Amino acid sequence: MKKAINYKPNINSSSKPRSLVIWITLLIFLIGPFIISPPLMTEIMIFGLFALGFNILLGHTGILSFGHAAYFGLGCYGCGMAIRYLGYSIWGALLVSLVVGILLAAIVGLLAIQKRGVYFAMISMAVAQMFYFMALSPFKKWTGGEDGLKFIPKLSLTFPFYVDLQNPFSIYYFVYIVVSFSIICIWRILNSPFGRLLQAIRENEQRTIASGYNVTRAKFISLIFSGLFSSLAGGLFFIYLGYGPLSSLYWLTSGTVLLMTILGGMHTFIGPIVGASIFLYSQNKLSWVLTYWELVVGILFVCLILIFPEGIVGTIKNKYLSRKITVEEINEMKDL
Amino acid sequence: MEINTSLIINQIIFGLALGAVYILMACGLTIIFGLLDVVNFAHGTFYMLGAFATYIIVSLFGNFWLGLAFAIIVVGLIGWITESYLVKPLYGKDPLYPLMLTFGFSVAVIDLMRAIFGTVGKIVPLPPIFSGSLIWGEIFIPKYRLFIILLTIAILILLWLFFKKTNLGMIIRAATRDSLMVRALGIDVPRIWTFGFSLGVGLAGLAGGVNSTIQSALPDMGVEMTIECFVVVVIGGLGSLGGAILGGLIVGQVVSFVSLLASDWSNVAIFITMFVILLVRTRGLFGEAGRL
Repeated sequence: MKKAINYKPNINSSSKPRSLVIWITLLIFLIGPFIISPPLMTEIMIFGLFALGFNILLGHTGILSFGHAAYFGLGCYGCGMAIRYLGYSIWGALLVSLVVGILLAAIVGLLAIQKRGVYFAMISMAVAQMFYFMALSPFKKWTGGEDGLKFIPKLSLTFPFYVDLQNPFSIYYFVYIVVSFSIICIWRILNSPFGRLLQAIRENEQRTIASGYNVTRAKFISLIFSGLFSSLAGGLFFIYLGYGPLSSLYWLTSGTVLLMTILGGMHTFIGPIVGASIFLYSQNKLSWVLTYWELVVGILFVCLILIFPEGIVGTIKNKYLSRKITVEEINEMKDL
Repeated sequence: MEINTSLIINQIIFGLALGAVYILMACGLTIIFGLLDVVNFAHGTFYMLGAFATYIIVSLFGNFWLGLAFAIIVVGLIGWITESYLVKPLYGKDPLYPLMLTFGFSVAVIDLMRAIFGTVGKIVPLPPIFSGSLIWGEIFIPKYRLFIILLTIAILILLWLFFKKTNLGMIIRAATRDSLMVRALGIDVPRIWTFGFSLGVGLAGLAGGVNSTIQSALPDMGVEMTIECFVVVVIGGLGSLGGAILGGLIVGQVVSFVSLLASDWSNVAIFITMFVILLVRTRGLFGEAGRL
């Protein structure tokens, strides 16, 4: 061998991680509330984080979970119940949502992670539906049933200094800090050797097994990370709304996050955030024009999968940014 | 409430009728999965379309049987079109795409139906032959529930004869095993896939039509059915018709008895059953070891 092959066939596996895109995103989020209304921007960030967490599993490991609403909703309810019934501070409550997400991911992982893709999707959807029904009726006394978790004391931050979280700007920057920290964490995870292993599993699972990696364990850890960030997003959603809606556990939430991810581009890092921004922005601005928003969403979904399965960012990246392989390079690879 | 034998028998029959609908649904899902390797996330949506087809025909012509027949035909046709234009382009790509596609399809169709029919439930009147119950001491058997059970048994026998005795059925079984080989023998396999999809979906439509006299037809009715149907096939083992039948029976009984004893938990109980069975036997009761 003359030299190591520096070419990888997939679009997003450029050999050097381009972290510039992260800093630009964080910068946009930093000045965002002065351009778009702060509540909408807060929602975009929360769902962006949710979609990023979801995409660890879908885009980067190649596993479709159809029940990510379970993590999001459980994070939301976990955070809310810790504040309402146990009197936790906000940081403590967010920690509760993290723990809840990890636990749920571990249980789902033990039950189903070894299964084929479609089977995992079905089981995860069933799990989410189970939590939906649990919150709806048997645990109505604690979850509030259809009305959601209400009667929350006014939220404020006491550590490291006092911040009143009633003002949209202060809540925005609180969410901003948590989300940007999480984005950087996810970026580090996906660009670590472990992240590369996940990509290898997505591209060719059999070959990864043959190379001696413990694929089941890697998938399991990937699911844990995914569940963790999704339920953190759920906890933030609770803090942003000030109550826990039952819809956070509804199957449509799982579908929404899937659509956001595909819309942005599931094989890119930043795609889910772009998808979440476009989705929420148009939902916010257009839903009064379009009475039947879900109809539009469904048709968009079908069109995306048939025509642009790589999503917006993925298509742009494929078209303009990917390295074109020249004939010489192919010949060179043949020589090696 | 006193629990005695006749109550238990009533509950068992109620569960059987419930299970019969699940069996129709799950058999359709299994046929589609076996042939196309596609899990149809829109299965419940086709169930809903079947209920609406029955409702429309019954309110136009007043004939329940015509309504049931139309439920199969109309839904089968919609399935045919869906498969030909939406699912077919995705064969050979990532196996998760058809899943997501059928999901998007169902979101769109549900909202479309909401736009047309509104959100008020439409109930099909019970045909006069089936009103009332057979009474036998303390045991009440509603005639309609008995009809559902008998209809499902008849459909299952027909399906069995179709798969075992006819050429087309044999081709479908062969294509489920090894579609490449069947294609090599000069059979138009994509055609068979389309047929299998509309057959499976037609069964879902029939289930919807049958249930439309019990459950009012609503655009949203299908989603929960889809998920319950998933639970049924996961319990029985994905890809096995016998498993779909057994899973349907189990889920029917579980729902029937839990709604009697602890009605709050009736929706949750089937999921717990699923987890228990998955823990004991990870591939479902009749699942093939290698396939999943």
